Amino acid sequence: MLMDTPRSNPLREGLALRSIPDPCTLVIFGATGDLTHRKLIPALYNLAADGALPPAISVVGFARRDKTDELFRSELEEAARKFSRQPIRDELWSSFAASVFYHRSAFDNLDGYTALARRLDELDAARGTCGNRLFYLAAGPDQFEVILENLRKSGLNQARGGSWTRVIVEKPFGTDLPSARKLNDLVQEAFDESETFRIDHYLGKETAQNIMVMRFANALFEAMWNSRYIDHVQITASEPLGVEGRAGYYDKSGALRDMVQNHLLQLLCLTAMEPPAGLDADSIRDEKVKVLRSLRPLAGAGVFRHVVRAQYGAGSINGKRVAAYRDELNVNPESATETYVAMEVNVDNWRWAGVPFFIRVGKRLPKAGTEIAVHFKSVPPVLFRATGESIDDNVLVIRIQPDEGISLRMSAKMPGSSLRIEPVKMDFHYGTSFGKATPEAYERLLLDAMCGDATLFARRDEVEEAWKFVDAIHAAWATRQDDLAFYSAGSWGPGEADELIKRHDAAWRRL
Amino acid sequence: MEEAVSALPLADPGMPVEIGRIDKELGKLWESSGDTKTRASLINLVVYTENADGLAADHEVLSAVAARHACRAILIHGNPRAATSAARAWITAHCHIANKGSRQICSEQITFQLDGEAAFALPNIVFSHLDSDLPLCLWWKGNFPEPLDEKLWAWVDRVVFDSASWDRPAHQFAIIRHISTGQKHQTVLCDLNWTRLHAWRFALASLFDHASAFPHLSSVASVRLEAGPDGRTAAHLLLGWLASRLGWTISGEEGFFETSGGARVAFSIAPDSVPALSGIVIECPEASFDLHLSKNGDFFESLIRMPGLEPSRQVLPAPRTRPEDTLLAELSRAGRHPLYTESLERVLPLIGH
Repeated sequence: MLMDTPRSNPLREGLALRSIPDPCTLVIFGATGDLTHRKLIPALYNLAADGALPPAISVVGFARRDKTDELFRSELEEAARKFSRQPIRDELWSSFAASVFYHRSAFDNLDGYTALARRLDELDAARGTCGNRLFYLAAGPDQFEVILENLRKSGLNQARGGSWTRVIVEKPFGTDLPSARKLNDLVQEAFDESETFRIDHYLGKETAQNIMVMRFANALFEAMWNSRYIDHVQITASEPLGVEGRAGYYDKSGALRDMVQNHLLQLLCLTAMEPPAGLDADSIRDEKVKVLRSLRPLAGAGVFRHVVRAQYGAGSINGKRVAAYRDELNVNPESATETYVAMEVNVDNWRWAGVPFFIRVGKRLPKAGTEIAVHFKSVPPVLFRATGESIDDNVLVIRIQPDEGISLRMSAKMPGSSLRIEPVKMDFHYGTSFGKATPEAYERLLLDAMCGDATLFARRDEVEEAWKFVDAIHAAWATRQDDLAFYSAGSWGPGEADELIKRHDAAWRRL
Repeated sequence: MEEAVSALPLADPGMPVEIGRIDKELGKLWESSGDTKTRASLINLVVYTENADGLAADHEVLSAVAARHACRAILIHGNPRAATSAARAWITAHCHIANKGSRQICSEQITFQLDGEAAFALPNIVFSHLDSDLPLCLWWKGNFPEPLDEKLWAWVDRVVFDSASWDRPAHQFAIIRHISTGQKHQTVLCDLNWTRLHAWRFALASLFDHASAFPHLSSVASVRLEAGPDGRTAAHLLLGWLASRLGWTISGEEGFFETSGGARVAFSIAPDSVPALSGIVIECPEASFDLHLSKNGDFFESLIRMPGLEPSRQVLPAPRTRPEDTLLAELSRAGRHPLYTESLERVLPLIGH
């Protein structure tokens, strides 16, 4: 007599903390684009090199240009050698590349999708991928609609006989609330919300994931994580780069849509949310949505009081002269697009009443860095008053990138017979304590999507709530243009932004 | 035969220090570096060895480990047979440049030479030089002594050993079972032989991930492992893991397991020309699953034959076998290893005394 037939692989039990993806086919729309070459294929190769991919996986690139599987593989190999975090090992690459295929079609050609369906069936039969399909929309956002429509018309969105289909949508998820709703409706005509994975790559970063661990696994911080102890929070994303060939997109988008609506509001949510009921995707996303719904709306005149928009002028970065935004290639010379935003946001709930969150994002700033800085309230100025010493407030900084880590500024007595107090910094660097390279965000996110784990992906209501908040600011901006400030490239932004935070008796952190 | 006080068989153990002044001297070491060096530590990593010939290699391993898993390293060379009792110490730092930027990241190492009676002061030497509040990981190289020093083991969070290096594995396994169960605060057993098997188990499991593959696990007819003399304990552990996952117990008949349903599964460990574990073949009535190390040992090559599908070949990452890689893999894995204990129990009677 034999043992009962197992319903899952018993050899996996106890072997890995995370689930192993099912065999599947990943179809990338926009397979010849930058994202595929720089991020997706290197991420997939690294997963293969770590043995984390399912045993039967096929990757099918879908694009307009004419090329063979072999040419496609060789182009991808070249890119992987350039962008992979691990060196390419020939044997592993050959094994991985054998699972990569190219399918030529225009996005608007339904026949191309019908042919794709046939090809996927053939691959399922030959490679045992079981009909599981993950569609990755890595094409330009203007192509999403036609791709989704043709996926639906060709029936590719339909899971068959115990298999699954899923879709990964790259940002931007619309350009405002109506377009986001339209896109979400389109997606949901083809895929259920549980099958939809909206990528915000910030959420795949180790430090972003660590925010929850730091907050909820350390009694020290969580007990003080409220308006009683916290004075204000600064969330900064700065970069020295300009528009770098993205002018066509960026000039229509601007910093508010490009960065605040998604990445920075996500970081704000992780900082401000209540402890979730569990670590499942919906428990966490429910809490993030509550934060977004608690944001005090900014509208009308309030926008001009609480939000500063600015654009960079000519200046210098790292000793090199750089052009003004309006002089960049493909930018409208009269453009009023903001390359910098500073804003005061309030979360109107019990925990955060009276604690402003200052958000700052900009291009052509002196230094690259993304961080969350939690500024604690001052101690009562009683004990050390007679010494004439000023005491700096405690600041907890969570560095998202680069040099991921956490630092805490505190006060200490300087050695000596007199009482002198100086700020000192306790610093934790991921790279110092954990020497191993952290996986790229796309590795984690691709694997999660294959496993059906949506925790690190944005849900429809999150996206729409964020747009609702941002749209009100845009609506106010549309009523006038004289509020657009200017700053020199290479500076830390306009004086108006300094005034904004100064009203709270605070100053922007030096990164 | 008794030996006199021995010279430390290490070319550059660092700066010699009085044992009572180690903490002060470490403090000076960091102060003198100014702001150019950052000290980091996640654990106390103690290595105890009585093998003088391997000490230089152990020092190199600690240096490599410190670069990727910051620690206070304590390397202890015990020479209990020395005629004269003496305890000497040296301090040094392992520094590397951080990935981003020019800052040097450093971990400190204290090296001890314990001769004669001083070798029995091991618990005190360890306890008095730990970085406080950090876990204690003790890598015991070679065979465990008897009787065990309960005071020492009660403080150890993780004991690292390598069952591949034991000359009497069954006897040693009995000792480590005592270590893991004899303390109120249970010590985690970390067998590097088991750590090296992680890639084997991971690769083997992946052969059965396919929905049409894992049902064959209910009808395995035979398991054949290929292993040289250094790989026999590893082969037994891998066999034990399969048995524990699939509900097999050792049958009264030699060379067979019995399934929970009463079926027989033949097993064998065939000698191989390479010293370590090199391959495994699982045969079922209608399918076979073959996993072998490539000739250069860098990859696994798998071959799956199942009805209705073309034979499927795949290349998978193989374990890195340098000692520092194995130790790092172990250090980066938190928690206990319940599968190890279960697997060991399944095959303990097969492991030679």
